[in-house]
Amino acid sequence: MGQYVTEIKRGGAVAVDDTIQVKGCETRAGSRILEGFRPLFSAEAVERLERAGYGIAGKSAVGEFGLDLLGEFAHGGANLDASGALRGAAAELVAAGGVKGALCVDLNGTPRRAAALSGVDFLKPTYGTVSRYGVIPCACSGEQIGVTAKAAGEVWELLRVIAGHDPKDGTSLPTETYSYNDGKAVAGMRVGLVRELSAAASDAVQARVTDCAGRLRGLGATVDEISLPLSDAARTAWNLLLCAETCNNVSRYDGVKFGYRSPDYRNIDELYVNSRTEGLNFLTKAVILYGSDVLSKGRYFTCYDKALKVRRLVWEQVKALFKDYDALLCPACAETAYRPYDIKDAFKTVFAESLFTAIPNLTGLPAMVSGGVQFFADTLQEGTLLNLAEALEGGSAK
Amino acid sequence: MMTPEGLSALEQLNEMRLTEDERAATLSIFRDMEAHEAALGAIPTDDVEVMVHVMPLTNILRDDVQEQPFTRESLLEGAPEHTDDSWQVPRLVK
Repeated sequence: MGQYVTEIKRGGAVAVDDTIQVKGCETRAGSRILEGFRPLFSAEAVERLERAGYGIAGKSAVGEFGLDLLGEFAHGGANLDASGALRGAAAELVAAGGVKGALCVDLNGTPRRAAALSGVDFLKPTYGTVSRYGVIPCACSGEQIGVTAKAAGEVWELLRVIAGHDPKDGTSLPTETYSYNDGKAVAGMRVGLVRELSAAASDAVQARVTDCAGRLRGLGATVDEISLPLSDAARTAWNLLLCAETCNNVSRYDGVKFGYRSPDYRNIDELYVNSRTEGLNFLTKAVILYGSDVLSKGRYFTCYDKALKVRRLVWEQVKALFKDYDALLCPACAETAYRPYDIKDAFKTVFAESLFTAIPNLTGLPAMVSGGVQFFADTLQEGTLLNLAEALEGGSAK
Repeated sequence: MMTPEGLSALEQLNEMRLTEDERAATLSIFRDMEAHEAALGAIPTDDVEVMVHVMPLTNILRDDVQEQPFTRESLLEGAPEHTDDSWQVPRLVK
């Protein structure tokens, strides 16, 4: 457990990703550029947990700003299991029973991927239902705090605590509390198996999705294969927006007000350049450079603006599916295990994998991973996702 | 198409420096993304409005009340270098 927890604040039940601020507790977002940064305030989600009597067990390691697949390029090093495969820190902590659950930021699917590989649950709620106040920001229009836990009942318990309107977050929806009890029963539910996403996964993952579909039918649900033709466009659009927004958000790290400062500089320009060059890893630099390019004068309308328009088309396409289906079923990632790889390949690797995860980030829809597969539901239909997961887990914890 | 000169300009704009290996890898990323951008560009969107936020959000402004949530000392504590009352940076004017 020690390798996953950067700092134990006190004995407790819930881990918090290192991209989420805990007052006085070093928060590095997996990056050297934030070395030594101790926030003056906690994230709203953390405060809500503490007010409800939960203890914060510590910070779970993440890749730099949560941009990589599974935390493999965290400044402190990757998390590997005994076989040498990459694992998400929070998901492994939860799987090992070290904590009741974990709060994780879903920026580009990392906690969903990690949950699928570690055999635990993760729910990314509808955008705007959990405050992002106190999250180290990257792609503000689609990133969202969610909950990792061993079973749907525990996800439900923690999510109810952290969700609800927060006036400190300008993107917070007005509803004060959410019960998540209004989901449909699985018997009679209609589930769409997304052909494009399932076909892009490995045989082993496809088999897992097929098995899940069979079990759902056994529980009385109808499962139809459906098409989501804009899946690939959704991935490109989300990655364009993510890079553009990250470029802006990460521009604040300059070695002056907090975090890492290079010891090697003779003037203010060298202080900025050397601090950022030494403090950020190559993946973050590539994301910033690409994001900066798509925001430039000659490319803004063909790239950034285009991605915002495609976001609407994807939203409409998915919303149309939810007129006929209660949930969509697909893989959370392409493989059942990932090995360490060169950081120079990280941008392309993460882009490829985000095919499975981009739609909920782009459209704000809730998504849940359980039993190694992923479900999407319509806006604010987290109850449906929890009911699906609970039924597949054979429990009734709510 | 992104050129080495264009990439150097982006590095300068973003206050960072790449190694030669990293430049080659970054140019390869830009080349890869061109194909995806072209596919996105082929989707007809002439009559489509941009969607900045997916949820219906309106700007709600709070009252403009003066407050001081943090002390100057606490804000300076996290700085790599500071004097008694300011962040410290190299001399800007000779």
